[in-house]
Amino acid sequence: MIKCLTCIWQSIKQQNGRFYSSKSLFMVNLIITSALFILSISCVSSSTLSNLDLATSQPALNAQPLSANPVTLSASVPKWIIAELQPTSLSSEQQQQELQWFRQTGAPFNGMTIRVVSEQINTHQYESQVLAKAFYELTGIHVIHELTGEDDVIKKLSAQIMTGHNLYDAYINDSDLIGSHFRSHAITSITELIQTEDGKYLLPTLDINDFIGLKFTTGPDGIIYQLPDQQFANLYWYRSDWFEDPKLKAQFKQAYGYELGIPQNWQAYEDIAKFFSHDIGVIDGVKVYGHMDYAARDPSLGWRISDAWLSMAGVGDTGLPNGLPVDEWGIRVEACRPVGASVERGGALNSPAAVYAIDKFISWLEYAPTQARELTFSEAGKWPAKGQIAQQIFWYTAFVGDLTNKSLPIVNEDGTPRWKVAPSPVGKYWQQGMKSGYQDTGAWTFLNNTPKDRQLAAWLYAQFVVSKSVTLKKLLTGHTPIRLSDVESPVMTQQAPYLGGLVEFYRSQARNVWTPTGTNVPDYPEMAGFWWQYISDIVHGKYSVQQGLDLFAAKMDSHLAKLEVSMADKPCAPKLNPAKDKSFWLNQSGAPKSEVVEEPVGKTLPYKEAILVWQ
Amino acid sequence: MFGNNRWILTLCCLVCVSLPTVDASEKMTVITYQEEPFAHQVKGVKQGMVIELIEKLFNQAGIDYEVIFYPLKRGMAMAKSHQNTCVLPIERSQQRESQYRWLGPVLLSRYGFYSKKALTTPLITLDDAKSYRIGSFLGSGVGEYLANYGYQVELANNDSLNLRKLARGRIELWAADVVTAKSIMNKEGINVGEPELVFFTSIRAMACHLSMDEARHKALSEALLVLYQSGYMTELNTKYGLK
Repeated sequence: MIKCLTCIWQSIKQQNGRFYSSKSLFMVNLIITSALFILSISCVSSSTLSNLDLATSQPALNAQPLSANPVTLSASVPKWIIAELQPTSLSSEQQQQELQWFRQTGAPFNGMTIRVVSEQINTHQYESQVLAKAFYELTGIHVIHELTGEDDVIKKLSAQIMTGHNLYDAYINDSDLIGSHFRSHAITSITELIQTEDGKYLLPTLDINDFIGLKFTTGPDGIIYQLPDQQFANLYWYRSDWFEDPKLKAQFKQAYGYELGIPQNWQAYEDIAKFFSHDIGVIDGVKVYGHMDYAARDPSLGWRISDAWLSMAGVGDTGLPNGLPVDEWGIRVEACRPVGASVERGGALNSPAAVYAIDKFISWLEYAPTQARELTFSEAGKWPAKGQIAQQIFWYTAFVGDLTNKSLPIVNEDGTPRWKVAPSPVGKYWQQGMKSGYQDTGAWTFLNNTPKDRQLAAWLYAQFVVSKSVTLKKLLTGHTPIRLSDVESPVMTQQAPYLGGLVEFYRSQARNVWTPTGTNVPDYPEMAGFWWQYISDIVHGKYSVQQGLDLFAAKMDSHLAKLEVSMADKPCAPKLNPAKDKSFWLNQSGAPKSEVVEEPVGKTLPYKEAILVWQ
Repeated sequence: MFGNNRWILTLCCLVCVSLPTVDASEKMTVITYQEEPFAHQVKGVKQGMVIELIEKLFNQAGIDYEVIFYPLKRGMAMAKSHQNTCVLPIERSQQRESQYRWLGPVLLSRYGFYSKKALTTPLITLDDAKSYRIGSFLGSGVGEYLANYGYQVELANNDSLNLRKLARGRIELWAADVVTAKSIMNKEGINVGEPELVFFTSIRAMACHLSMDEARHKALSEALLVLYQSGYMTELNTKYGLK
């Protein structure tokens, strides 16, 4: 106890039809939210909250010590916090007022220790190291913000639901789980939290309409299940200095008959990959590669493919944020019920388009460094920084910060990058109106089996790390925008030349066309695991692409059949279609699409024209 | 690509067919390791939370088994290389996911940093521990976790050694499961009090050989679910001070 008090004292001393209208969607949300609010007045049991005993709140695993000793907080916001949270889109006075709101609203929770968990990216690192500390000094709420792999976050969330133990008070969990969340009855929605005690715990300046990813975290029922914390997209990445080199341009034109530029289709991507890996081979004495990827047997290989590789190929149907009735996982829905993934049941997971997609993934490894077959996502991430990679078909913009260091061979002396991002090329089955790529939306997720007081303290922390006092600085640190006001700020205009096209992407409608996994996937934690196992077996030669995808689609169907029974009482539960001959479905319009035999001619565009699609 | 290499596939299939198949009726070997109060042997008698759980789980699933004790690192290696072999409780992580067939959670653990005396600067976040020498033990998931994030981790053969190293000032922080730490402190007669910071929660699971029979995996998964739904797991956790 003395040790603990000493610590606290020392701490105190220290210091188109293609685009959904976000406005109209929000209005729908608002109407539903208002209706729910009116209902909640009669439904929410005030006793739940009045029974809170914050001082004696016990964690479910009581083996952990409590630090339930209230901290004496200073009346003013500590200076280091104000200095740290610059720049901000708020005026100095507005920021002071917002931070004071956290001090006052957090006061009843002073002394509590809460636990949150997120994946390991620069944005969350900043939250766990700096923002958690700032929140502690503002409110006296000690936040243990753990970082771990995304697969671990999902496993932990599932474990809390399964065991009923309060492992964490909140999760920053990808919105890819929205299909599971809205069906599960296990989630306390953001819509509910906003209404708690007549909005007592709602940050008045939260400005929920300012969040660009809200449609990804909203269920088909119009309820907002998760609050975006960070977003990043998968975009085409390339060495702009090499692509603008007159000698290389001439060589490419002579060999392939068209201009070296931003590939618009997979044929051009393949030609460019071959050009740099085989035709050029060495630049300035260094071996170079026309393609980079990773293919080790690891969960990250599954996400490489389920994060929209099939959608880039054109496997699914048109529709945003996800194809309807067949999405990018190849799952078909009818009236919100998943009815099958195999072509035999109207899905597209083992369709000719899916075979084409995976076949290209494997064959292009020939143009990547030989190590790529045995690299995981995190191991492969450092390769573009080495200066040996000409292009990567899709690259996570969460790593913009890692590629802007002046010491790197891919950055100019003035800090501008020698690389750019652009829209990824699409495969021969892709059609206008389909999603163009993947966007990851890590979002605050709260579980029903978390004690209410702990959930509310975590809700305050969540609102703090997405508040306008914080997000512009967080964006400059982690490059994962969530607020339109930040994206459109003068600060980001100044930063744009140094970020390779990130700002241009997020200022365009493209931010609505690059989308996460959607609501068709009813059990993401379990079904995501199938991807890496089956794709690994295919990539490493256990099965041919068609054989592997047939088995994979059958596995998906069989899981949907299980869910049909276990989720019978849940909304939008799966209801498997009877199996029919493949030809029945392949002869219908839309996905699953019949085989396209002819190969398109490679097509490229200059950068300025290529990014016009973002407008 | 595969169209050109069809003969390789055919060869692979022939090789696969000729491999010995796993005998699903064979007794399973379940490896655990000394970690009080979860698993320990007193005069040859195996006891502890994990031992009770294994008995209940395998009986519920109707699978014959034997429990043996090995050091954690060796147990993990054996579950990786020997068919019909599992090891528990193991911290399940993304890095380890593809190396085993998993069943869990079997144990939920919190990990804390212990120090010999109060630190001059309190640990508010995990990052505050960056400058300290931290003790963990071979095979420990939390040790791997800290090392991967760039912390200065020194691995001992077992966790009791870490408490002694801490007492002698050879490490500055000991990263340990908070339940195990109490047990070790009682056994060693060295009390370093409460943790400075409880920084990590882990899901511990049973890690089995990749070839584990599908029917057995299903039977054990369903049995575990029954143990949770029936309240048995809550009772077991309570008995051993976890709930």
